[in-house]
Amino acid sequence: MLLNLRDDSLIALSPSYKTFLFDNDFQSLFPEIFLSTAAILLLVYGVVFSTSKQKNYPLLLTNICWLSLLALVFTFLLLVNSPVENALLCYNTLIIDNFTSFIKGLILFSSFFCIFISLDYIKQESINAFECILLLLFSTSSMLFLVSSADFISLYLAIELQSLCFYVLAALKRNSEFSTEAGLKYFLLGAFSSGLLLFGCSLIYGFTGVTNFSELARIFTGGTQEILTTTTSLPACELGMVFLLVGFLFKITAVPFHMWSPDVYEGAPTPVTAFFLIVPKAALFGVFLRIFLESFYDFVLPWQKILLVSSICSMILGSVAALSQTRIKRLLAYSSIGHVGYLLAGFACGTIEGIQALLIYLFVYIFMNINMFAFILCGMRRETMQTVPRIKYITDLAYLAKTQPVLALTFTITMFSMAGIPPLAGFYSKAYLFFAAMSSNLYVLAVIGVLCSVCSCFYYIRLVKIMYFEGPKNWCSFSRIPVENALTLAITLFFIVFFMFYPTPLHLITHKIALTLCM
Amino acid sequence: MSLISTLLFLPLLGVLILFFVPNWKIQLIRRIALNTSLLTFLISLLLWIEFDSSTARFQFFETLTRSTFGQEFTNGYSFSSLNFVFGVDGISLFFIILTTFLIPICILVSWTSIQTYVKEYCIAFLVLESLMIAVFSVLDLLLFYVFFESVLIPMFVIIGVWGSRERKIRAAYQFFLYTLLGSVFMLLAILLIYFQTGTTDLEILYCSHFSETRQLFLWFAFFASFAVKVPMVPVHIWLPEAHVEAPTAGSVILAGILLKLGTYGFLRFSLPLFPFATFYFTPLIYTLSVLAIIYTSLTTLRQIDLKKIIAYSSVAHMNFVTLGLFSLNTQGIEGSLLLMISHGLVSPALFLCIGILYDRHKTRLLRYYAGCGRTMPIFAFLFVFFTMANISLPGTSSFIGEFLVLTGTYQNNSFVAMLAATGMVLGAAYALWLCNRLVYGVIKPHFINEWSDVTRREFCMLAPFVVSIIWMGVYPEPFLDAMHCSVSHLISHGM
Repeated sequence: MLLNLRDDSLIALSPSYKTFLFDNDFQSLFPEIFLSTAAILLLVYGVVFSTSKQKNYPLLLTNICWLSLLALVFTFLLLVNSPVENALLCYNTLIIDNFTSFIKGLILFSSFFCIFISLDYIKQESINAFECILLLLFSTSSMLFLVSSADFISLYLAIELQSLCFYVLAALKRNSEFSTEAGLKYFLLGAFSSGLLLFGCSLIYGFTGVTNFSELARIFTGGTQEILTTTTSLPACELGMVFLLVGFLFKITAVPFHMWSPDVYEGAPTPVTAFFLIVPKAALFGVFLRIFLESFYDFVLPWQKILLVSSICSMILGSVAALSQTRIKRLLAYSSIGHVGYLLAGFACGTIEGIQALLIYLFVYIFMNINMFAFILCGMRRETMQTVPRIKYITDLAYLAKTQPVLALTFTITMFSMAGIPPLAGFYSKAYLFFAAMSSNLYVLAVIGVLCSVCSCFYYIRLVKIMYFEGPKNWCSFSRIPVENALTLAITLFFIVFFMFYPTPLHLITHKIALTLCM
Repeated sequence: MSLISTLLFLPLLGVLILFFVPNWKIQLIRRIALNTSLLTFLISLLLWIEFDSSTARFQFFETLTRSTFGQEFTNGYSFSSLNFVFGVDGISLFFIILTTFLIPICILVSWTSIQTYVKEYCIAFLVLESLMIAVFSVLDLLLFYVFFESVLIPMFVIIGVWGSRERKIRAAYQFFLYTLLGSVFMLLAILLIYFQTGTTDLEILYCSHFSETRQLFLWFAFFASFAVKVPMVPVHIWLPEAHVEAPTAGSVILAGILLKLGTYGFLRFSLPLFPFATFYFTPLIYTLSVLAIIYTSLTTLRQIDLKKIIAYSSVAHMNFVTLGLFSLNTQGIEGSLLLMISHGLVSPALFLCIGILYDRHKTRLLRYYAGCGRTMPIFAFLFVFFTMANISLPGTSSFIGEFLVLTGTYQNNSFVAMLAATGMVLGAAYALWLCNRLVYGVIKPHFINEWSDVTRREFCMLAPFVVSIIWMGVYPEPFLDAMHCSVSHLISHGM
């Protein structure tokens, strides 16, 4: 049973909660405000200078990339040094606590690296559209809002802002059919899922008259006896919750609602795919954890069932469907579906250990995926062509061990970590997840998860096999590993390999954060 | 810096040095690797000298944990820090020494035969050494699992990269997936234990008790993992494949150490942690072991690949070991420990012999060989000697082991002992027949063109095996003394 500390009396008592209307909002929302302002200023800067005739219409993309990286770093610093730790802001529509700052940190970190590793790609592919970076910034700031939203209105608005940026990003390469198709598909299904989400919100609002998470929690508290006896609205509220859940599962590409993700992930330009794959997961899991553990905690049985089914299906599909993929981005898409299954397993536990396991898994997942995309975004050279194509098929990796041994070793270690082989970080996160599942008596989930992780070993190791043992059909070699990517690879690899020896800090932080969420 | 942590970090130090040696200085790389591993071996001998055989407790205790920081914040069960606790008792002492003994030989055996990726080869073996020492000395269940599994990665690379033929990838895959599939169940069991007791520290777990039904589940989950490693009969297929495709040094490690991981696991975890389940499942183990002994011995008769023959005979011997372990008396367990050590000497030696043949003639098919006693007399002598040790001739180390195992089993179940004893006859059959076909007989024509006896390096490599096999066979007291206390403690405490 969760304690609801955000009670009126407690708020009045505890000095750390600053609930005066818009009094300290500016202070506590400073990171978000800074990031949005920075994005707008960069937009102005870009538009003015890229169309200036005196400067001879410069290409500002790299410039803006670096500036936005700087903006992200500053936002991160602001977030870390934020003077307010716990607060309800903007008339209870936004909330700030340890949990949000952790997730926000994760979001900023991952979006920093997503931009950082695609610098070279942008240069090589000569994408002359600086607005894509700004869109990334805007979506990042909207995700920051999303994480700290404490109300259905702010939740929906933030999700929409983020999705809107994503629709544009997916269709970034206008001269590529795949990218256009990806954008269209993403838009249609994203809009559909947002519709479901909105319908869920309106059902709940309609039957309770409340959109605030903590007030909802107060209504549903105590086994929902009150509603059950007085009105007939409980089934309707449950229905609303199911719609919310479906919208959420759509957004994070969990299994029954995953069909768009491989196409979109494949069609979108690779840096954008990296962004899609890594960053929104943290934000969405953050906010939905809050909703379900705070507002709907008394509906735990129905949502746990749905999440369980979805988690198991995702794990199975993620491990089975990726077996037969030939394109690397598609393979990664399916593997990410599998990982979402594991994350949902932590969610489905609904215990403190479960949330902690989820957070650890998320953290490690982000590191591993950044590592992988840093690898994939390196430019390659085919023997016949002069252009710099990217890895498209997994057979392009053939004999990488001969041409780039260190890179191949890095990729191998990452793959083993993704497959959950000890002593790498991926193992630790999975083990902790299974532990959480077992400690909340979900034995079947743990067994299926373990079996799926063995299954998924197959295709992760297949990549290793291709790199080390298979003869290439046409020789590809990496032309040059960009400094940024090399740096990212080194940092993340260090984390993956040496995580095992000192997991305590991450463990403590996640534990504290899980407690924050549940108390 | 105690002995154990020196042993753990010395190979890694060698790896660190190797990273900074340029790739083309092959001779230097080999020298560094060899010297590091020899130094590790010497230090591990120090372990034996310093070992106090009058106590059953863990010695050379070493803690590398920084847990105090985490403990105050998290109460109850949580993984806030893993217990990097290491220690050695009479059971694990000889496995560590065996490991350190075999690694220099692995590096020596590939002095000329491995010409590609030499640096990576040496690194893989040194990392493997460190991991295996860790497996045998770690006193934490979860960390045991971690090291147990992480051995897979270097082994996968060793089979895959330096293996001999096209099929090697399949073999590496099979090895990897079989072992992984088995051991994930052990992971779940470990997590369940952790959930129940709140710790994975082995010494605390020895004092805890599990309910009977839960013991059955846990035991079976551990069994699923260890049975693949041993290998017991339904899941032994990976072993001949992996052996045939691995390079010689890979086979040496596989037969010498990795097979011992399963039986060591039984001895260290299944027996003392789940005594009820051990009693309950003893018939299962007996059945599987006897089946394996007879079946693999018969299978060996019809193999034509030299390495496969030795691999199947390894399966037979390892199942003798499980038989001894589950006889649950002092003779049986001590015998099986001795048999493990002895098999860790004999089987690698045979693989080395076959590696010598393979280096010269590039084939392992038996039908191309005959009469190499004429052209390679010293080799023939060594091969016959090791074959005799393999069929446990009295005076060799295996005899003591098998004799004690059969004695122990006989006390428990005479029928099983009788069936197992037929395995000895069958073992003699295939081993002698192999010897007959390989060493004696009419000389095959291409031997005359190309013949060279064992080189000095190869002789130096095999001589320690001869010495230690005879030593163990004639004077096994030092070994038995060191393990006696731990084994009797295990029996009196656990059962």
